[in-house]
Amino acid sequence: MRVLLVEDEVRLAENLAAALRDGPGFAVDWAADGEAGDEFARNACYDLIVLDLMLPRMDGQTVLKRLRARRDATPVLVLTAKDGSESIIALLNAGADDYLAKPFDLGELLARAKALIRRGKGAAHPTLSILDLEVNTLEQTVRRRGTAVDLSPTEYRVLEYLIHRPRVIVSKRELLEHLYDYNWEHHSNVIEVHVSNLRRKLDAAVPDAEPIVETMRGRGYRLAPGLAWDQQTPAAPDTGHRLDMERDQ
Amino acid sequence: MTDRPPLQAAPRASGFSRLLLRRSIAFRLIVAVLAVELLSAVLVVALSFGYERHIHFRAFDVMLHGRADSILGAVQDAEDPDDHVMLDQNDLRVPPEDIYEVWDEEGKLLGRSPNWPGTANAKTTETGAEKGRPPGPSGAPPPRGEMLRMDVNGTPYLVLRMRGSRTVDPGEHGGKLRTVTILYGSPTSHLWHAIRGAVEFYAVGSVVLLLVTGPLIAWLLHRGLLPLRQLAALAARVSVDAWHFSPPASARATPELAPLTHALESVLQRLERSFVQQRAFVSDAAHELKTAVAVQKSSLQLLSMKRRSAQEYQAGLERCLADSLRLESLVADMLALARAESATPEGAPQPRVDLAACVRHVVAQLETVAALRQVRVDPPGIAAAGAVETVNVSVPPEDCGLLVSNLLLNALQHSPAGAVVEVQLTAEDDLARLVISDQGDGIPAEALPHVFDRFYRGDPSRTRNTGGTGLGLAIARAIVNKAGGTISIASPAASNLPGRGTTVTVTLPVFSAA
Repeated sequence: MRVLLVEDEVRLAENLAAALRDGPGFAVDWAADGEAGDEFARNACYDLIVLDLMLPRMDGQTVLKRLRARRDATPVLVLTAKDGSESIIALLNAGADDYLAKPFDLGELLARAKALIRRGKGAAHPTLSILDLEVNTLEQTVRRRGTAVDLSPTEYRVLEYLIHRPRVIVSKRELLEHLYDYNWEHHSNVIEVHVSNLRRKLDAAVPDAEPIVETMRGRGYRLAPGLAWDQQTPAAPDTGHRLDMERDQ
Repeated sequence: MTDRPPLQAAPRASGFSRLLLRRSIAFRLIVAVLAVELLSAVLVVALSFGYERHIHFRAFDVMLHGRADSILGAVQDAEDPDDHVMLDQNDLRVPPEDIYEVWDEEGKLLGRSPNWPGTANAKTTETGAEKGRPPGPSGAPPPRGEMLRMDVNGTPYLVLRMRGSRTVDPGEHGGKLRTVTILYGSPTSHLWHAIRGAVEFYAVGSVVLLLVTGPLIAWLLHRGLLPLRQLAALAARVSVDAWHFSPPASARATPELAPLTHALESVLQRLERSFVQQRAFVSDAAHELKTAVAVQKSSLQLLSMKRRSAQEYQAGLERCLADSLRLESLVADMLALARAESATPEGAPQPRVDLAACVRHVVAQLETVAALRQVRVDPPGIAAAGAVETVNVSVPPEDCGLLVSNLLLNALQHSPAGAVVEVQLTAEDDLARLVISDQGDGIPAEALPHVFDRFYRGDPSRTRNTGGTGLGLAIARAIVNKAGGTISIASPAASNLPGRGTTVTVTLPVFSAA
């Protein structure tokens, strides 16, 4: 998962980015002012935007309004130092999904960030399961038919992204965009290695398991190819990343 | 049921309201107008009394003369050898209550009215030596006659005593001139009656006028004071949350209320402006403080999120300490600003500090910072104050240091390595001028008007890195303003070339003991 952090206070941004990377293992991009935030958000490759309100150059409200005007449905978590329900109502009405008042609790921020990403992808519960595969996003553990599967952080992140979009072909480019931040050099063969390791570990966990990650040469990867549409656990189809899909396919 | 005195409070309340009423302008005006009216009514009654008395008594006088003349007409030749005269009373028609008496020059009574009471109690009304002399046939009355006051059976009479001449038997040897003395009186009671009637008319009229004008004046005053009440009602609606005050047109058009209205308006506008500023400052300050606290809190929580190595803890603690120092400097700056902006208590001794010494001290203090940033201060250290030995300005010593160090630090922080920061101090007759210029990137023209605003940052992403709180220039301005000086900032707007620099000029009035 990739998060855009728009925050002008350098030290706060450093701490937030570190927490988001260390805790849930998100890729984090940091924009120090409103204009940069707006520019970054146009890439539409984020699963969550953490947005401060008092920003130089362009305030958070404007960034939010522009985002929604582009029909971008990326979840937005607003950080505000302002009191008063009026500004919060205005924020929520402008398209914010949630807010936190400064000074906030870092644990709460991480929990809300995870919940917003989950909701944005149509999942209500932090534990996702598909066929015989179960992913607990809180503990970051993976089980197949009850057997724990030991994954590297990157492999886990790949699986976490894929399990939110079962049966959908996810391109390598999409995976790269959502798993790595701006500073990372995009080498598609890195992804290939991680995916093949992931597939091997998942299939080796139980005897004579069906391959659960399918590689579609030149197009991308697909989780749970054998799953019928109506067996899908995450109830709602993904609507949050319409733009990604159009571009990738 | 109970025997507590329930009416105890009532008289006090009415007394209080009476006091309030007495203080009201309307009440005082009504009382004043009614008092004037009452006074004029009394005057009118007194004047009318005098006038009526005069008129009536004059008419009475004329009437007495006329009647006396008709009595004289009744004096006839007695047809006796001595050519005496007699009074023929047969044809005499006078009101029955009148009295008369006629004497001839020899003191012989010619005739009198049947109700003549005698002159025993008669008194002359004339002034002078004759006053009080009993009237009678004796003595000649003055040519125009004299007035006597008499009392007839308890009724006051006024009696005219006059001399009349009559030529008897003009046919024979040229006739003979006979002189008679006539006394003619008439009761005065009806006179007084008429006068009293007239005076009563005026008095009753005045009272009626008072009764009518009292409420009328009250009503007119109530109407006339309407603009004042409207103004008061609108002014009462102004509150901390609703500053809007548009005085009624009636108050604006009233010459007496216009200055008050104007004063109210301007005071409210100034109050609102400072209130809005204050509110903005509190909001900004809250934002800054909350952000600073959020930084600290998140630093600590990040550190405790998972097990870390000793080195990681060490680095984390150092970051937390740095965050605390930033919070500390923010709080210190906010307090300094509050102190610099607060008014000096009246009667406090005028502060005094040597600006030249202050500049030398600050430049020496910041030389390490300058060296660290590879910036040269010109002239350096001890020579920083230039040719000026001492110049006293009325700034508290700690504020002076804050002012100079804020400006110099700003210049140092915005200077690239290898640049020069120039410090110039000059003193003219009564003005000390401090100019600090750097060779930094300058300030964009659109930001120049805002640089003295609290928490304003020209380029936030950068100045936050340098640790500025956004209050330095605001503090400098507050200090300079308090001392009655000026501060201005200039950055050549024409070029956008880097290195065009910024110049801050401070002028402060030289301290005078007066």
